Formats: sequence, structure tokens, C-alpha cells
Amino acid sequence: MSNVLRQHAEQLFLEELEELKKQDSEKRPYNWVLSPQSVVTYLMGGTLKNGFEIQPKYIGNRRLIEIAVATLTTDRALLLYGLPGTAKSWVSEHLAAAISGDSTMIVQGTAGTGEEAIRYGWNYARLLAEGPSEKALVETPVMRGMQTGKIVRIEELTRISADVQDTLITILSEKTLPVPELNTAVMAQKGFNIIATANNRDKGVNDLSSALKRRFNTVILPVPDSMEEEIDIVRRRVESYEKVMDLPAEKPALEEIRRIVTIFRELRNGVTADGKTKIKVPSGTLSTAEAISVVNNGLAMAAYFGDGQLKAADLAAGIIGAVLKDPVQDKLVWLEYLETVVKTREDWKDIYRACRDL
Amino acid sequence: MSIHILGIRHHGPGSARHVKEYLEKVKPDIVLVEGPPEADGILEWVNNDLLKPPVAILAYQPDAPQKAVFYPFAEFSPEWQAILYARRNNIPVRFMDLPMAHQFELKAAKEPKADAEEAPSLNNSLAPYIPDTHIVRRNPVAYLAGAAGFADEEKWWEHMFEYRQDPDAVFTAVAEGMQALRQDLHLPYDREEQLREAHMRKTIRQAEREMYTEIAVVCGAWHTPALLNMGKAKDDNELLKGLPKVKVATTWIPWTYNRLSYNSGYGAGINSPGWYEHNWRYPDDDGTRWMSRVARLFREQQKDISVAHVMEAVRLANALTGLRGLPKAGLEELNEATLSVLCNGEDILLQLIDQELIVSDKIGEVPTDIPRPPLQTDIEKLQKKLRLPQTADYKDYVLDLRKDTDLERSILLHRMEMLDIRWGHRYGPSGKGTFKEQWRLQWDPGFSIDIIEKGSWGNTVEEAASQYVQHQAKTATSLKEVCTLLETAIPAELHNAVEALVQQVNNLAAATGDVMQLMTVIPGLVQISRYGNVRKTDATLVDNIVAGMITRICISLPAACIGIADDAAAELLELIYNMNDALLILQDPELTTQWQQTISHIAGNDSSAPVIGGYATRLLADHRQLSGNDLVRVFSYAMSAATPPVTAAAWLEGFLKGSGTLLLVDNDLWTVVYNWMHQLEEDAFKQLLPLLRRTFSGFTKAERRKLGEKAKGGISGTTGVSQQTMENIDAIRALRGVPVVLQMLGVK
Repeated sequence: MSNVLRQHAEQLFLEELEELKKQDSEKRPYNWVLSPQSVVTYLMGGTLKNGFEIQPKYIGNRRLIEIAVATLTTDRALLLYGLPGTAKSWVSEHLAAAISGDSTMIVQGTAGTGEEAIRYGWNYARLLAEGPSEKALVETPVMRGMQTGKIVRIEELTRISADVQDTLITILSEKTLPVPELNTAVMAQKGFNIIATANNRDKGVNDLSSALKRRFNTVILPVPDSMEEEIDIVRRRVESYEKVMDLPAEKPALEEIRRIVTIFRELRNGVTADGKTKIKVPSGTLSTAEAISVVNNGLAMAAYFGDGQLKAADLAAGIIGAVLKDPVQDKLVWLEYLETVVKTREDWKDIYRACRDL
Repeated sequence: MSIHILGIRHHGPGSARHVKEYLEKVKPDIVLVEGPPEADGILEWVNNDLLKPPVAILAYQPDAPQKAVFYPFAEFSPEWQAILYARRNNIPVRFMDLPMAHQFELKAAKEPKADAEEAPSLNNSLAPYIPDTHIVRRNPVAYLAGAAGFADEEKWWEHMFEYRQDPDAVFTAVAEGMQALRQDLHLPYDREEQLREAHMRKTIRQAEREMYTEIAVVCGAWHTPALLNMGKAKDDNELLKGLPKVKVATTWIPWTYNRLSYNSGYGAGINSPGWYEHNWRYPDDDGTRWMSRVARLFREQQKDISVAHVMEAVRLANALTGLRGLPKAGLEELNEATLSVLCNGEDILLQLIDQELIVSDKIGEVPTDIPRPPLQTDIEKLQKKLRLPQTADYKDYVLDLRKDTDLERSILLHRMEMLDIRWGHRYGPSGKGTFKEQWRLQWDPGFSIDIIEKGSWGNTVEEAASQYVQHQAKTATSLKEVCTLLETAIPAELHNAVEALVQQVNNLAAATGDVMQLMTVIPGLVQISRYGNVRKTDATLVDNIVAGMITRICISLPAACIGIADDAAAELLELIYNMNDALLILQDPELTTQWQQTISHIAGNDSSAPVIGGYATRLLADHRQLSGNDLVRVFSYAMSAATPPVTAAAWLEGFLKGSGTLLLVDNDLWTVVYNWMHQLEEDAFKQLLPLLRRTFSGFTKAERRKLGEKAKGGISGTTGVSQQTMENIDAIRALRGVPVVLQMLGVK
């Protein structure tokens, strides 16, 4: 057992990838480890011909993953777009692992990401000593991906300032990275492509220029479709967290997870689960990832401060924290929801009281 | 001599293409099509230039027009192509389904109670009895699709048959597939289906007897095995003997693609008429032409789409098709490519494509000399019954709603009004009572167009009005709009519509962040809920939502009173005033408590707009929530010197709003103001005087005069009317008046 807190996807699921490779009979694009069909199977899960079970990595619409994979076979890059917590980075990591067998070529986009983090940088000591040369060049993941024909990931593309974003245009349309200082250019090998992620909720981000936008096919990862799907995701992730954290608390009852998911879904969708009553929507995203962390938080509370059993009171603070992102507007929404929906549910009395008390 | 059975999917463009090619190849001398034989007579209109698809055959019972069936045809319907072929080549064409005359009766026998009920459900108004217009009941085909590895049988059928270029042996394949299904599935015995197929066989035999040699039969795929295996004529005749029968009339009516699609509520529709038409016109399109149309549509909407976009989208669609192992890109692949490449993943624009291209808003045309539609018949019937003739000149009516005929007349007129057929105009005051209405009626021949148009909503006035209002309710965005509809729908006695409207009011109320909008509609709703009217209406329904809306208002109102401009505050003040009235009318203790808490919250919050804060304080006093020393304390606090004069003035204005007479009569209020004034220092008084003058200037002259007189009298108030009356009561004289008062109140 490794002591690494979190392993790369291609190490964690090494066995699955090997098995898929063995069983793969479809045509593989050049430099791809797996065929497109197998990549989809790797992400969506399934049973191979020899009975080997592939775990689902993404629970949701298969078609979205198909679009994503199909995009990577064309010469357009892929932009995964969506609310925070909708598994964008997760999908991008697994796509890279399945396609190139390597999910480590990654650029984390921030407001401070400069051109040298995307194209190339210089080792200034060498540059001064020897002048511009190949040796003085510091490669970036993008450059390495081009040379080796692999998938490169760019996280939070919209956080990178617009002028730096635009350095991607040449790379994506002409598939070359010119190095004018050396009068050469790096030509991308087949199999190179970029998966970028961006979230559409934050304000003050740098929207892509239309020239750059045109080089990307956009796939929006939605919040989960059905209640059961979401409960499934939350349960799986919470269980894996328990294992990592060695929490002494009892396993969360499915009932509690169901209630959290119900509250989150209802507020997010603006309508009660039975579809009868409309409700106002708070400003927060209330993603599945937040539901997961509310349950995790509740578990920790129950384990260290409660009696080890997950109760409504352990969850209340987490729920309110997730919902009330804007102290004025969201409070009204939450109160209205509490009074008109939660209060009326017979078996929700405990959660109503717990939320009222806070 | 031979019989060609062509199994098709209704409205399948590929099927239509195959049928056309097949007919041109075998050159039949008679064509038989699945459809109601009653409509044989009107088939002569096909191939008439003025009859442009999409159109539908409407079959209905002349004596009960709400029993009706539509048989829609689009240009790409295989049946339409078959009929068209026959008409163009001048060979006979016949419908061969079980006559509607029997089908209506069979349906009626099946649901004996359903007809007795008055309220039409949504279902039977749009497509009362859906004939087997689909390929087959969905499930059986799902087995074949499942075997081929498709999750969705529609998809499988499309890829298998509709997108297929090569028509060879396709009909044989369909027949064999269906044969296998019908053999292995052991579906429950369905008498109606047996009858229908028996009648189809009978029609085929009839054609044989008439010595036609090449007989082409076009029917839903599901029926092919039953027609290939003809069986004995005797058995069929036995089965068809002695079926009940009713009178049926048929006519052509214009149809729309929207109506053909599922989402219009037409049960046997197709998802994508526009796409099918495209597929019918350009069977070889690999997506390029479709994408160009999409791009053009987007450009019309001011969205920049380059040629490169179109190229990339087609490329992605084809990559997806390859990934999924399909031979040809279908609508799904094209849509997904559009979404990803052209829309940047946002599906809002995709809805536009859905409306404009996939469904498309095409409407058919029907020659004017075709028989009249059922709604017109129904209106004429009602007009005759209620003795409200169509007149070119206007005529006035005063309706007394306590009389049955007049009530029915009023209902009819209200319903026509709801249908936007402006036959009657209400005018004049309805008086104090709610039982009288005055109408002026004038008929305009142009109405017949409106009637045909509205006929698509239903075959009777009630149905059409109900459906139409529900449609309006669904599309309405403002609460006020829906409430206005609600106020008209109640006298029109459209129960379904009222329910839908109430639901919509509820939804909009929940979604709106605008308290003022909610408050605007409350008084009207309370009026309905508290008093109802002469009719026994749906007022109780309204009760339920009023409570919910008031709760919402109570929650959000305090926040809405903070930080608003003077104009907005004045507007809100008026709304609070009406709202308070409404609550007093409602007399619901729980809601009143809630309301009192809300105003106390507003009054207690220093940051509420002063004019509203003042008024809220007054309301608290009115509700006896604040009295005596507390009231004095609050009053003095608000008027204290530290408060900027403008704020204090506004507060006072709110506090005394509309209370000129109240000050005269209510001694408590009077005492508060009087005492406060009394204890003012001279300087402070001088400072406040302009404000007071401003407030009092809002009262009438007479009020001001009386207030002056009262002020002269000091604290007790010489004109204290209430005290005087309390002292000198002559009980015996008062008793004499009691019977008269009781009589006036209607108590005997």
C-alpha cells in the first residue's frame, strides 16, 4: 500500500487499463493507448468480454463522454465547462489517463499563469552563460505533450489572463510551437491534444476570445440528472473518504444522504421533488461535490463531537453553510424553503428543528 | 395478379421514399391505405394545389363533435405519398381501416362512464382516440431494437429503415421482423385490433373481387403479418357482423408541424417533423446541408458562425457516428455536434433549433370550399339554444345570473371572450350586486376565421376555451396577467382552466422575487376567495393559494421596505394599505397574526423607509398591538429632535395616512398626537410646524376644520361623539328599531 495521499488515475486504475488494453479489438488512433470505444468504457464502467469488471468513473450521461472522446479524435481541443463540483477535472484526468496513459501533463491556470508556463521558459543562468540554446530552454507540459503526442490538461483555463490564453491559438490551429529565439519550432506529434476545464459560475474570469473558443469543442458537465444518480455518487465518494480518513463514525444511513441530496436538488432546481411546488433558488451552486462534503463534515462532527451516529444536528450547520452564500438574499430563500417545505414534511421534523436552532 | 403489402412507420420519411419508389416500380392499379373509409370521399382533394400538407382528416360525430379523431398527414407521410401517387396516376385509392362509425361506438362501449362526464380531459380534446398511428405499440419493437443493441427502439428503426438509401427488400424485411414478433410475443388478445385487421383483409378481398390485378397495400408495419396471411373470408365476415354504428362526418383541416410533434400533447406524434422533412427532401445529406441551415438560423439571430464552425460540426458529428458504430449521422449526433461546436455547450440556442428547424412552424392549408369545422357547429348550436342570434347590428342584453338561461348565456359569452372572439362586450357598471351583467352583442363574419383557428384547441366552446386559457397560463410570465385570466375564467366556469391558473399563480408567486407584484394581486384574489359570487364557483381553490402568498409576502416584505426611493416607498405604501384591507376582509386569525408580526418588524426597524415605518406603526395601533404608553414612546421616538426633519415628516405622513376622520373619531390616536404636541418645547414646535402643515394638508377641508374644533376642546375632545352616545341610550326606543335592522340584513 502506498503512503501517497492520492495517486494518479493511471496508477490507481492500472489493472483496469491493462485489462482494457488486452481486450481492445477496435481501431486505435495513432499514439492512443486505447481505442475510443474502450476509453468510453473506462469512464462509464462496464463488463469486459472476459468478465472483468470496470468501475464507473463518471456517473452520468454516456453521450457526453462520447462527445468528449469523439472530439479528441478530431483536431479540435476539448473544453469541459460547468459548475464547480461537477467532476470536470476528474473526467479530464481519467480521459488523459485512458488515452495517453499519462495524466500528469497539467498546467494549473491561475491569474498569475504566464506565457512561459504554457509555451516554454528559459533557464536564465544558462541563457546568460551560453546564449539561447536548446539546453537553456525549459519545457512546459504543453511542449512535452506536443513532442510525445500526448494529452495535455489545462485546469481553470478562464482564470488565465486573456493574452496568455491566446498563445494557445497557434498551438491548437497549426499544431506547432514556434521558438523564434532558436529559429525552430516544435511540431506536435499525432495524438497530441488539449483538455481544458473552466467553470461558468465565477465572476471576474477571463472569457475566451472567440478565436480561441473556435478551437475548442465545449462539453458542459451538468449536475446529476436524477435523484438516485446523485445519491449514488454521494454514497460512493463518502465511503471512499471514510476509508482514507479512518473515521470511527458509523456508515451514514442512506436515509440521511437522501435527505441532503433532496434538499440540494430542490434548492438547485427551484422545485420540490414531487414537482408540485416551486421554490426560489439560492445563489450558491449546491453541487454534488458540496453535498459530499456536507456529509463528510457531518460524519466528522458525529465521530469527534457526537455519539458516532450521523444525526440531523450534525448536518444542519453544513447544509446552512452550503446554502447561505449571500447573507441577505439567500437567507430569505432558505427561510422560505424551511418554512414552506421542510416544516410540512412529517419525518423531517428533526432537521427542521436542527436548522431552526442554529 | 399480386398483392404488395408495404409495412411502414407513420410519418417516416424513409418509409415514404421507399413507398414512392416501390409504387413507381410495380405500377399498381389500386392503392389501399390504412385510414378511415368514411374519408374516401374527400380523398379527391389530394393533388389539389390548394390542399397543402401538413393537413389532417378530421373524423367526428356531427351530433357530438368532441368525439373526434385526427389523421394527420405530412408531405413525408408514406400514406400521403401513396394517395398522391394514386391521384396522379388516376387509379383508385381507398382507406381500409375499420370504419370510424364502428370505432367510435366500440370506444364508447369500452368507457361507458367517460362520455357522461362533462369536464373534458386534456387527453381527449387534442387527440381523443388515437388510432394506431404509430408503427406499433412501442414495446414489441423494443425487442428487435434490444437484440440489435439499441436502447431506444425509435433510434433503431430510424437507422434501420428511415435513413436507409437502398429500398431493396426493405418491406420483406419489415414483414418478416413483425411476423417473428407477433409469433413469439403472445400479446394479449385485442378485439379492436382483430376487428381492424379483419376489415383491412375484407377491403383487400373486395379489391380482388373487382378484378384489380396489382394491389398495393400501405399499412403500419405491425399489421403486415395479419394481411399477408389472409385466412378465410368467412371468419372475418363473422367477426365484423353486427357492429354498432354511429354517424360520422369527415373533413380536411389545416395541421401544423407543432401539432405533429409529441410535445403538443398529440399522443401518436413524432419528435422532429422538421428534421424528417429535411430527410425526405435531401436523403443523401451527410449533415452538411443540415448544419448550414443551423448556421444560417444562428446568423439570423446575430450569432457569428463561420464556415469553419460548420465544417468542424459536421466532422464531429461524423466522428460520433463512427464511435457509435452507426452508418449515418442521425439527429442526435448532429444536435450534439451543434451543441458542442456552435453553441459552446449552452443548450439555450439548441431550443431555438428545436423550434425553428427540428419541429419547425410549418402550417398546412385547406381549400376554402371544404365543409365547416366542429367548433363552428357547436357555437351555432349554443346560439340557437340560448336564443342569442348572430346579428350584424348590435343588440343589448341585461342578464340576471340567478336565472338559468341567463347564467348559461353569460357563461357562453365569457367563454367566447376568453377565446378572443369579440362577439360580446360587457359595458356599464354591474351595479352593487354581483348578479347582473350587461352585454352588447354584434356578430362579425370575420369571426369564422377565429373559430377555425381556435378550433385547434377543441371542438366545443368549453373545451377550446379551457385549453386555450391553459395554454395562455403556461406561457404567461407575469403574475398580474395570470390573475386577470383567473378573474375571467371563474365566471366562464372553466374548472380545469381555473385549476391550471391557480397552479400557475402559485408557481409564479413562488418564483417571483418581487414582493410588490405579489401584493398587487392579493386584494383581487381575496375578493374572489372571500365573497365568491352568485355562481357556485371554484373560490375555495383560490383560498389555498392566498394563504401561501401572504406567507411569502410576510417573509420578504420587511426587506423590501429598506433602502427604497420616495416614489417606490409611496407605491409600496399604497400596496400595504390595500394588503391590510385584504387581510381584514379575510379574517383569518393565523394570517392576521403573521401580518401583525411583519408590520411590527417593519415598524421596529429603523432602516425601513420612514413613511412606511410610520404607517406600519399606525397599523399596529389599529390592530391593538401597540397602545398606551408604548405607542406614545414609539411616536415620540420617531419624532424626536435627533431625527432629520425630512425623515420625521415622512414618518408622520405615514402615521397619519388617510386618517383625517380617524383622528376625529379615535380618541386614542387623538390623545397620542395631542399629548405629543402639547409637551413640545416652543423651539421644537416651530421647527416641526411646517412638517405638520404638510401632513395635514393632505386632509380635506372639512376634516381640517373639524380637527381644529376638536383641538380647541383640548384633550377630552368636545366633539367626542362616541362618549356622548354612550351616555344617553334609550333602550326601549332602540329595541323598536331592531326588527327593521334585522329585515334589512335579511334575517327573518
